[in-house]
Amino acid sequence: MTIKRREFLGHMAAGSAILTVPGFLTGCGVQQATAIADATPENPFMDWFGVDQGTVARVMSELTANGADAADLYFQHTRSNTLRLEDGIVSSANSSIDQGVGLRVVIGEQTGYAFTEDLTLPSMLAAARTASAIASGSRVAAPQSFSPAATGKLYTTTVPWASVGIDQKLPLLKYVETKAKSLDPAVEKVSVYWADADERVMIATLDGRLVTDHRPMTRVTVSVTAKQGDETQSGYSNIAAREEFGWYKTERLDTMVQEAVDRTMILFEARRPPAGEMPVILASGASGILLHEAIGHGMEADFNRKGASIYSDMIGKKVAEPFITIVDQATIPRERGALNYDDEGNATGRTELVKDGVLQSYLHDEISAKQYGLKPTGSGRRQSYKFAPMPRMSCTFMEDGPHTKDEIIASVDHGIICETYTNGQVQIGAGDYTFYVKNGWLVEGGKVTAPIKDVNIIGNGPESLKRITMVANDARLDTGGWTCGKNGQGVPVSQGIPTVLVSKMTVGGENVS
Amino acid sequence: MSAELESRAIQGVELAKKAGADEAWVSAEQSRDVEFEYRDGALEKVKDTTSRSLNVRLFANGRYSSHSTTDLKADRLQSFIADAVAITRALEPDEYRKITPAELFANRPSDDLDLVDSTVATLDRDRRVEWCKALDETSHKHERVISATAGVYDGTSMSAAASSNGFVGSQEQTYCWFGSSVTLRDQGEKRAEDGFYAGGAHVADLPDAASVGRIALERTLSRLDSEKGPTMKGTMLVDSRAAASLIGRLLRPANAGSVQQERSFWAPLIGKKAFSDKLTIIDDPLVPRGLASRHFDSEGISAKPIPLVENGVIRNIYVDTYYGLKGDMTPTTGSASNRRIATGDKSLAELIAEVGDGVYVTSWLGGNADSTTGDFSLGLRGHMIENGVIGRPVGEMNVTGNLRDLFGQLEMLGNDVYPYSSTLSPSLVFGGVDFSGV
Repeated sequence: MTIKRREFLGHMAAGSAILTVPGFLTGCGVQQATAIADATPENPFMDWFGVDQGTVARVMSELTANGADAADLYFQHTRSNTLRLEDGIVSSANSSIDQGVGLRVVIGEQTGYAFTEDLTLPSMLAAARTASAIASGSRVAAPQSFSPAATGKLYTTTVPWASVGIDQKLPLLKYVETKAKSLDPAVEKVSVYWADADERVMIATLDGRLVTDHRPMTRVTVSVTAKQGDETQSGYSNIAAREEFGWYKTERLDTMVQEAVDRTMILFEARRPPAGEMPVILASGASGILLHEAIGHGMEADFNRKGASIYSDMIGKKVAEPFITIVDQATIPRERGALNYDDEGNATGRTELVKDGVLQSYLHDEISAKQYGLKPTGSGRRQSYKFAPMPRMSCTFMEDGPHTKDEIIASVDHGIICETYTNGQVQIGAGDYTFYVKNGWLVEGGKVTAPIKDVNIIGNGPESLKRITMVANDARLDTGGWTCGKNGQGVPVSQGIPTVLVSKMTVGGENVS
Repeated sequence: MSAELESRAIQGVELAKKAGADEAWVSAEQSRDVEFEYRDGALEKVKDTTSRSLNVRLFANGRYSSHSTTDLKADRLQSFIADAVAITRALEPDEYRKITPAELFANRPSDDLDLVDSTVATLDRDRRVEWCKALDETSHKHERVISATAGVYDGTSMSAAASSNGFVGSQEQTYCWFGSSVTLRDQGEKRAEDGFYAGGAHVADLPDAASVGRIALERTLSRLDSEKGPTMKGTMLVDSRAAASLIGRLLRPANAGSVQQERSFWAPLIGKKAFSDKLTIIDDPLVPRGLASRHFDSEGISAKPIPLVENGVIRNIYVDTYYGLKGDMTPTTGSASNRRIATGDKSLAELIAEVGDGVYVTSWLGGNADSTTGDFSLGLRGHMIENGVIGRPVGEMNVTGNLRDLFGQLEMLGNDVYPYSSTLSPSLVFGGVDFSGV
């Protein structure tokens, strides 16, 4: 089946769902628990979870029966859908519903945690008693009702994913496949992977706040395998955002597909660079992975409150050239890492990690903020109701600097440019971090010469920051679907950077003997 | 409990059939997990949870989809499955999407794998805190310790599955792990960090908690004053713990899906000599008390040991029903269990002496491999081997090459299998490896 571009656009605009999964608010069989007091107007989130102000108050009271400095109930309902196109057909789909409530009580630096997927009152009370067992003090006054906080506006959608049928998504996957095959005759296999999710959270806190947030998410990935003679190469590209179906404009998809094919075809020519230390140019966008690994994790305050980060004693110190400012900001509309409220119900914002070369602020959750006597930075995040929150990044990026990309390339005699990445990792204490470069280029005599592939790059966070000697004026956020993993919890993040030069890093490669 | 889960799975199959599915596979899962974290002399976190889910695979009109939910309320479940069938019908038909043929359910082993330790359910707060304290004490015994976090993780997982073509089965497994992570004051602002964890299905198999804390501290102390090693070509000794993850990378493309999709460097090598004749890998689901032991896999295929590589020759890969049909391969199993790697006859110390000069890798940091070509590049931490003994600690280095070439250069294996992993590997020695450092 081939879809011409015009037809495809038609499908996108007019496709009415033959198949519409019941919406979050239209689901059947919602039961109200026994109402004790319902002082606030109807709250659709409460209706969905089958609870009311009185139920939440009773569970909170049970949760804090042995004392608490802070406590929260984290109700979550996530409906996710995936589709896979392989060998020309969309013959595999997955849907999942993850619903539950996480119950947390905090005393000083101690946390008691439990969750249940059974949202009946007896089950929630039992979980509350389990979580409260960490404490041994006396009951604190729990609120009788919770005041709804203003709804966030960073990723408001007009059409929730639940009302977009497979009949609308299927032509999109087919289009991506057809496009990929049309771009190069060497392309043998194309697979397309689709994901969308509607996540709803409702957070009730001991200080009486009720925060609700609808968090949409979507991602498309295209993988390409190409053959030339006996040689096979594969590559991929993806795009992700807190967006709705209409975001998938043809141009956006075309760019993604072109990237996937280009990244694959160049591998036939690409070689390993020579091994060892050399100057490394990081191309704008996805190279923000440098910031995530080299400084971001080290600035998460849970490591610092334990003294376990290489950055633990560096606040206020000069860590980089004065033209370097590094920010973590959750309030960038519709980005994958965007959040209206964090998973402790705190407002998110912009945190400067480094300002004009000086280390400024850690990323705090409530526990660390209290210990440092600061306000939380809205950085408490969790993978789901199954986990207690901890400080995490959101959208991490570096602001523009005084140089240009051309100046940076011209300044390098023997080095490489890194363009695309698959993954990275860091040791928070030692500061050593790595990222894996899938595609890049050799730079010789100030000129881009040959393509390179498949090298790991390793450096030390504070040392690398000091070695960023040039920063260009072309900052951009990457549109790829990055997920950050920490202590077994994955959360969506974004990253970005202008073109920068790191004067020396250790590049994996071959030893010319 | 398993009877209740089985009936939940069977009910799921009935619901799916009623909703219009031609065939259905349903599994019901439940787990209890407890986690204690104890940092620098005080209990920091207690997590105690019970979780459940229902997973459904549907076949209707030659179409297929899979679904899962944690919302098991009767009315919600019914509409969830009805929606799931509707989703299936909206997909494209695929002649290879068929429920696992019943003949693959036959000959299910009845070996007692001894995967359940009844003492796990009786562990209480006092016992866990006692372990935490013992770990905490021994992992703090050095003046450079900044912080140490001890952890205890234990629980039980149960699952039952049923299918419309006659499969019914259930499995249960307990686990208990503990250990600690240590951070030490190093040069300048640097902190050295490492840790050690031990675990298994049975509490009785665990070493003494104090000794685990001691190993965690020793491993971290050995990282102090680590420097970047040289850029060179040389011999690499990978310790048995780090070897497990390297074997995992080698095996990642060893499956029918990757082969059929032409994203596996294994594809042209199946049935051929691909690696050093010293390499033998068996997928063995029947290891008593094994971390990934089982009687049947996730689609009901009866468990049996499968030789993957014998003396360097690729004998089998992981083949599930779908890619088996699509790629014309006989199904083995679609999901890995325990991997046993044939051992050599030398101790770690003997390997080090024999290597003479090279790099001893104790852990990896990041890196990746291309499944299609086998090209890899990995960050490493470890020590230099100089004159047959372990020398200075090194880090911030990479090793780069191709997985097929690397495992072709496998020269020696130890007799020191690492027990706390489902990949049971000894230490491995590779010749002619490219390192990058200073």
